[in-house]
Amino acid sequence: MTQPLRRPFALAAYALTAMLLASYALVMWWTIHPTVPPNYRAYYIDQTTTCMNQPVPGTYTLGTIVSYLPDGANAAKPTKPCGWEGPTGDGTHAVGTSSRLRFAWSEPTTAALTLSLDMIAISKAGTPMPQSVDVVVNEQKLATLKVGADAPNHFDVAIPAGLVTEGRADVVLEFPDAVQMGPTDPATRWRSIKLLAAGLLPA
Amino acid sequence: MTDAVALRPARTIPLSAALVLIPLAAAIVGLVIRYLAYAATVDDASLASFADGLCRWDCSWYVHLAEVGYDGFPTPKLSNGGNWAFFPLYPLIVGVLIKLTALPTMVVATATSIALSIGAVRIAWPLLGKNLLAYTLFAVFLLAGPFSIYFTTFYTEVLFLFLTVCVFAALKDRRYLLAGLFAAGLSATRIVGVFIVFAILIEAWLDHRERGGTFRDFIPAVFRRPELLLSFALAPLGLFAYMAFLHFKMGDALAFQHVQRAWGRPFGLPPAFVWNALLSAPKEGFIPTASQVLGATTILGYVLSIVLLWKRRFGMAAYSLVAITLPLFAGMASMLRFVSGLAPMPLMLCELLGKNRIVFAVALLLMLVGAWYGTVGWLTQYLALV
Repeated sequence: MTQPLRRPFALAAYALTAMLLASYALVMWWTIHPTVPPNYRAYYIDQTTTCMNQPVPGTYTLGTIVSYLPDGANAAKPTKPCGWEGPTGDGTHAVGTSSRLRFAWSEPTTAALTLSLDMIAISKAGTPMPQSVDVVVNEQKLATLKVGADAPNHFDVAIPAGLVTEGRADVVLEFPDAVQMGPTDPATRWRSIKLLAAGLLPA
Repeated sequence: MTDAVALRPARTIPLSAALVLIPLAAAIVGLVIRYLAYAATVDDASLASFADGLCRWDCSWYVHLAEVGYDGFPTPKLSNGGNWAFFPLYPLIVGVLIKLTALPTMVVATATSIALSIGAVRIAWPLLGKNLLAYTLFAVFLLAGPFSIYFTTFYTEVLFLFLTVCVFAALKDRRYLLAGLFAAGLSATRIVGVFIVFAILIEAWLDHRERGGTFRDFIPAVFRRPELLLSFALAPLGLFAYMAFLHFKMGDALAFQHVQRAWGRPFGLPPAFVWNALLSAPKEGFIPTASQVLGATTILGYVLSIVLLWKRRFGMAAYSLVAITLPLFAGMASMLRFVSGLAPMPLMLCELLGKNRIVFAVALLLMLVGAWYGTVGWLTQYLALV
């Protein structure tokens, strides 16, 4: 059994306890007032997106098609900010309720462009799960695509002149019909499409 | 003569020496078994690559933390899974030792883990009823058992178990301030460590009752005992210190919690996860699936918690129930590691198995054989061990 603390030690213990509790209160205050970048807040704290917009460079040569199959893994890597898994043999799998592509190039562009996309919808337990895909480029929604699961689908989405004059296209693919594959899968694991190829071509 | 004394084998060496030699012997035997399993499993195995070769799964995160420290945001590899998910105390200790010794990280981590395991065994002597058979089993469980990988490589389980044993040993002697200090370390080792405060609270309540106190005068009595009050306040210090660090590093004191989203863990009710795991039968044959092993381990954890309650070790029981149940809200992943690294579990198990010499001998043999299979399973990525 411990003996009661002597008076000076007892006072020090009370003082230290009070200091600790005060510092815990300060830390608790910090927990409800985080000072973080918007991307961080959206993904980790507010959870308003499943796609953590990472600062990949988007290195890309205008007019080329990037393969999102294993043969194009190196070229595709800097164009995938978030929401992708793979590539595997049948493409790069979208995970979550949206995915991003980034294309950044140095060639001058003033004319309209075409966003070329080759995708296929996923199947769940052998059942095709057709998908709607909203295409947003530089924060402007351009199209809603209907992607089937039987065979790869090719799409050309017109990008108006003036939307990508900075030499950069941030493409968001939103998947309102994304599928929860397992009963406890969180939204960050939902599945929708597999991307086979993408690129920006002259209109 | 007490049962504990009766169960002691005939000795020709002093007890104090035996209490040191037993874990030392277990450490050596464990190293030999794990090395033989490693050599039999891995191509080009060598003694030089042994420590690094056993570093799998989360171990590589801890190595990075010890060598480099915490990443900022965004992470260097632009990954959603930041290393701030991992609590700092053990990587910090190994990181300091690396700087002091200039030895390879995994060599330092392996030596530190083995030293902590030996320390945990020695400190656990009074918690095992001073039964030499239970003590031997506990030593073998940590240092030469099926899950010895967790306690002899670079996982936080070993420090977590060591500090938990220290807290309960201190509480057994009613040394609350010491218990609070160890608890502070515990809450800087794993998040569930902070719940050791319930064990301190329960032991303080039992202490209060023994002194003739009542429920009504418990809180005033706590306030009259500054060392007890300080013990409660110290327990979460590790957690809050880490949160303060994350606030300054990341701008988010709860970054360790928020980053869990990147791992895509499910969220649900523990009974549903356990039930589904137990029903996850193999497609062919009778060998249980990894999910079934995890489910069975969880059930065993609860059974041992109930045994702890029955034996009136209320502090250990309450802490175990919380530490088992909380991770279950995120599914069954790592439950084998969590349960085997939760000190009251192996303590209780070894105490039960050490009550009878025949059971002791069988358990000892199974543990040693299990060390081989545990190591092979670890190296061949058997999912239940992760």
